[in-house]
Amino acid sequence: MYLPSIDVVLPALAWSAVTIALYFAGKMVHRRFPRWWSSPLLLAPLLLVVVALAFRVTYGEYIRGTHWLVALLAPATVSFAVPIFEQWPLIRRYWLLLVVGMLVGSATSMLSSWGLATLFGLDDSVRLSLLPRSLSTPFAMIVSGDIGGTPALTAVFVVITGVFGAIIGEMVLTILPLRSSLARGALLGMGAHGAGTAKAYQIDREVGAIAGLVMVLVGVLNVLAASLLPNILK
Amino acid sequence: MNRYRTVATWRRHFRASAVLQILLLLALWQVGELVVRLTRLPLPGAIAGLFILLALLGTKRLSVCSVRRGASWFLAEMLLFFVPAVMAVLDHPELFGLQGVKILLVILTSTCLVMIVTAGVIDAFYRIKVSGEDHVPAID
Repeated sequence: MYLPSIDVVLPALAWSAVTIALYFAGKMVHRRFPRWWSSPLLLAPLLLVVVALAFRVTYGEYIRGTHWLVALLAPATVSFAVPIFEQWPLIRRYWLLLVVGMLVGSATSMLSSWGLATLFGLDDSVRLSLLPRSLSTPFAMIVSGDIGGTPALTAVFVVITGVFGAIIGEMVLTILPLRSSLARGALLGMGAHGAGTAKAYQIDREVGAIAGLVMVLVGVLNVLAASLLPNILK
Repeated sequence: MNRYRTVATWRRHFRASAVLQILLLLALWQVGELVVRLTRLPLPGAIAGLFILLALLGTKRLSVCSVRRGASWFLAEMLLFFVPAVMAVLDHPELFGLQGVKILLVILTSTCLVMIVTAGVIDAFYRIKVSGEDHVPAID
């Protein structure tokens, strides 16, 4: 029988506990001071980085004990079936609109990332890793590998997009005179994937469901495009 | 009769329990992973799991009451699952320098553009569709 040694179990438990504790502490601070800087996705990682640097821990050592938390993104993705099911009549009525929005949004994301990265003189591996950053993590990492980027780097860009996207999204929503919850949900789901969707749920259930749907469909769409297009173009 | 009552009690218990529903969602994810591995679909297992659950709900084989609590918990705490992924920055010290600033500018500008364009396109089409259906011109 395989028994993990105490030197593996103890840090894993400790880092998981620290991560969860800082997340819930961050949430409490955010409830008390609901500002952009107190978002649990910004405050908790920032404090964690400080702790990790203080203990001279590498990412490899940290993630060995906490990857099970990241793995829970998968059942969270499965959970999107519930709001999608509940909003089915709305989605069935406006599916064409949503598809058009997703195609235009994906094109804008890739072209502007590529264009701006070229303008700033970033190298090829960074440029390719930036392309799928508006997708949610599991999709983005698949696409990044398919097109020749670095999946680990893409994961960081995806998270940066999520953290700042949720903040930017909230600001853009107050400026743009949008009439439909369809557009509001798509804005957050397309622009800031999971973090945007979480933000959308704070607005209301309908906006959240649309954001979740857009996030999932845009992911499926891009994974299929990245795996099929090279074969077609060849 | 007795057996019937046991099933009803068990079902009521399941619909009230977030923990049991969380376990069900974990099981659906694993089924999704299995399906993807067997069929070699180019999709993450979680997405297959999502479509399986959607099919179960759509065909009324599963009531939405049997998963709603569990799903709400996962969706509410989703940001927690992102937190460890952010720590990958520890392995990329170059991101803290000038290159990091450039990348941040690319991401911020591009995200802003994506949001404005996506929402703008959908809202414009929505106005056309709504005004076409009701034969009432948009007020603004």
